[in-house]
Amino acid sequence: MTASRLQHTVMSSAVLAVASLVTWLSFTEEPAAAFLFPRMISVFFILFAVWNFIRAVTGLAQVGVGITPKMAMTILPGLAVALVYIYVAADTLGFYASSAMAFLAVSTLYDPAPRSDIQSWLKRITITLGFMAVMYALFAIVLKVQTPTGLFF
Amino acid sequence: MKKLAKGFVIAATAVATTWGVSALAGDFPDRPVGVAVSYGAGGATDFQARIVTMVAGNKDMLGQPVYIVNKPGAGGRVGWNWFATKAPKDGYTMSAYNVPHFIAQSIKGGVKYSTDSFEPIANWGADPAVVLVGKDSKFNTIKDLVEFAKANPGKLTLSGAGLFVGHHIAALQLQQSTGTKMAYIPTKGGGAAAMKAVIAGNVLAGINNLSDGYRAAKAGNVKILAVADLERNKEFLPDVPTLKESGYDVDNSSVNFRGLMVPKGTPQSAIDTLAAKVPAMFKHARVAKRMKAGGSPIKVMTRAEVQEMWKARQKALAGLLKGL
Amino acid sequence: MEFLNHFGGVFEPLALMLLIGGTVGGLILGATPGLSPTMAVALLIPFTFHLQPVHGLILLGAAYTSTVAGGAVSAILLKIPGAPANIATSLDGHEMAKQGHGARALHLSFLSSGVGGLIGVLLLIFLTPLLSQWALAFGPSHLFWLAIVGVTVIGSLDSNSFVKGLLSGCIGLWLSMIGYDDIQGAQRFIFHDALSGGINIIPALIGLFAIPQVIDMFGKGRFITEIETVKVPKQQFMNSLRELRGNVRALTIGTTFGSIIGLIPGVGGQIAGLVAYDQTRKFSPDRDKFGTGHPEGLIAAESANNAMVGPSLVPLLTLSIPGSPTAAVLLGGLLIHGIFPGTDLFDNHPQVAWTFINSMLIGQILMVAFGIYTAQWAARIALVPNSLMASAVLVLALFGSYSIQQSMGDVYIMLALGVGMFFLDRFGFSAAPLVLGLILGPIAEANFIQGTQIAAAQDGPWVYFLTGPLNMLLIFFAVSSIAFSFWSNLMASKSKKDGLAEEVTK
Repeated sequence: MTASRLQHTVMSSAVLAVASLVTWLSFTEEPAAAFLFPRMISVFFILFAVWNFIRAVTGLAQVGVGITPKMAMTILPGLAVALVYIYVAADTLGFYASSAMAFLAVSTLYDPAPRSDIQSWLKRITITLGFMAVMYALFAIVLKVQTPTGLFF
Repeated sequence: MKKLAKGFVIAATAVATTWGVSALAGDFPDRPVGVAVSYGAGGATDFQARIVTMVAGNKDMLGQPVYIVNKPGAGGRVGWNWFATKAPKDGYTMSAYNVPHFIAQSIKGGVKYSTDSFEPIANWGADPAVVLVGKDSKFNTIKDLVEFAKANPGKLTLSGAGLFVGHHIAALQLQQSTGTKMAYIPTKGGGAAAMKAVIAGNVLAGINNLSDGYRAAKAGNVKILAVADLERNKEFLPDVPTLKESGYDVDNSSVNFRGLMVPKGTPQSAIDTLAAKVPAMFKHARVAKRMKAGGSPIKVMTRAEVQEMWKARQKALAGLLKGL
Repeated sequence: MEFLNHFGGVFEPLALMLLIGGTVGGLILGATPGLSPTMAVALLIPFTFHLQPVHGLILLGAAYTSTVAGGAVSAILLKIPGAPANIATSLDGHEMAKQGHGARALHLSFLSSGVGGLIGVLLLIFLTPLLSQWALAFGPSHLFWLAIVGVTVIGSLDSNSFVKGLLSGCIGLWLSMIGYDDIQGAQRFIFHDALSGGINIIPALIGLFAIPQVIDMFGKGRFITEIETVKVPKQQFMNSLRELRGNVRALTIGTTFGSIIGLIPGVGGQIAGLVAYDQTRKFSPDRDKFGTGHPEGLIAAESANNAMVGPSLVPLLTLSIPGSPTAAVLLGGLLIHGIFPGTDLFDNHPQVAWTFINSMLIGQILMVAFGIYTAQWAARIALVPNSLMASAVLVLALFGSYSIQQSMGDVYIMLALGVGMFFLDRFGFSAAPLVLGLILGPIAEANFIQGTQIAAAQDGPWVYFLTGPLNMLLIFFAVSSIAFSFWSNLMASKSKKDGLAEEVTK
């Protein structure tokens, strides 16, 4: 299975856009001395990006399985939890509280057991608490890492 | 619902703040104190910071252990930028400073800090810059080196740990005072990389820390030609002349002072407590023993003395760097 | 043979206890995501304050050896490389673990670590004077070319598409330039405040390797039918040993590259594993199996990254120049006790020097023993359901990337890189060349700038970079590496076309 030509084209144009931005910045930003190396690299970067783009447009790009709509839908909830967890919750709620929530959320989202199954809920909550206890022991007690406390801890 | 949530957040913040304040008013510090080091683990600053804070946990010192967090990058800029803009201003977050590095960088511009961004606590060490050459070098005295530089403008390669750090300042002063032009080669990776360049013969000469130079000389890898300080270092290098007594007008602007500071905005009570307790910690007998064993010169200065020193350096460096 | 006289010191009760403690502790610390060997050794330094110098060094030596090997554990089981050294390990190792062969992967990894490590330390013992000359032979121009040789590996490393491999490498090189430039202090490509500290390698590794893995697990959904059921067969130690004996080529290439490259200050340790992996692949008849759980790749990578441990200490012990960040921390551990590496160390404190080196020798053996002992148990991690695994790795990714510098910026970068890499991964780009670019970028740049500055004071850049036997040798390597990649790429696409044609005619 391989991704469609359209998907490859979208991806390779995104990479090409990044390469163009990098090249443009490298050749316009000052001081020139600090951008000497970026200039050298960006030449290769944009060259390969163009080559890759042409391959994608002409349908030569074959490697990579792409993303099916069905897969995108299964990924979405988990990805949303991950993004909220890392970018919002970790800092505002505290590392341990937000981690426990994210752990429970992700494991519930992708647990094959039906949602009405009380037993599986209990199991997941126990595992979450157990895992967080291990994390606390490892990072807070052994390694003495001071994590952001936020609202809770 | 929204209102409720908002009220909750305000209440929680209020609780957090009062808790923070009461904690300060009480017996500060009541939890471990962090020290951010703007250089990598194993560098001279990191190594010394770990030694001078090792007795912090003792009852008669801070009473709380100190832990080190390394935030290396771009000659210290990454760590100090973070410290000036993002570090918590609660007294539990200190940073190690390196003068003249951070002052020179702030004069040069492009960073988010200056001497006004920080409040010094105390100074623990002063590490002068030394001029050194490989063990097989044809230069045996600083005079030889300067003569060569005079005869071959721009040909004398001189390694040092980056731009706008003590080594660079020393190189600038040496060139100014002798009227020569040398090729200063800043290395990435601190004094160790600059030292390697000298030992391996990649460069003709180098400027490095006295502590590292002393060690390399003792191992028989380099010859130390001169010290960039006002007087000779009696403890480690009694036989090496200063640049000044060799007839070159180089003062102690490049001496690398290391100490602790907190960000501006830290409660005065916390600053006072730290400023009162930290110098005693630096003077502890075990600290002194370990520092001496590592070849690191100690110079304990109080908060008031450091404030004076920062002011003096600011003025001297502004003059020196004006033309660059 | 002087080292033989000092073995007694290693077997004193306290020394032996520290050795065992350091080994076990090192394995655990090394397996913890976000704790590189450097950090682990730095964490142990305070403990040595209270010990005799000899004992302190035994602890540090054992910990250094075993953290490097311990990093393989999380690389294999979780696809979180503990340090750059373990990147290549995760490529095939994690595939094996996913297929239920985690115990086999761990056995092979510890055994090849042990073999590589022992040879590395023996080189340290017998060839130190020679090796220190070699370590010094590399000036800025050579290190620049060496980095370029590393870059040329990109085209053939773990990617099925030549151009996408190169492009991944370019992305990595660009990412490495984000932040303040190290020499001038100029700001480059800082689009967001979190980037002002640059992209640190450990959070990047966690993001680039672990996060796509997590999202992949999301993608498998919550349906039992779609969840792979793996078995974890019991792995007999003797079988692993036999398998290792059957892979002498990978072991030889790994150990050779590991010890030669590991010696070069500032470059070695980080890329030894990847270069050895790539070379083994080039010489292997089963080239296509690499990346799918092929033990050869794992053996090469692990023997290389432990073979580097001994030689990487040569510049430190003989010249007092720390050749790697970990060596720099070890230097601190020595200095605290007033011991200066260099001639002073071997002349005035031979007891300390040799006991330290011997402890690494014994430490290798202990490490293999403990590793093998726990492998079967650790491999059962493959039985953990996807839903729990994904949650656990996600939480570990947060804690791991935060704890390095206690910086939220690192955490944000970690996830952003991870999500980006997931999409790139789906379209044939791969993380290994990208990371190689990220590692080599700063090395190439710093040495290029330094080289041009030195050249300006001497005979100009052309003479400086393009003459001299070592420069020529490295350029030859770079050119032949590119030529080989092109050639094998051409062959591969040709045979693929033939294959397609056959299928069509069928």
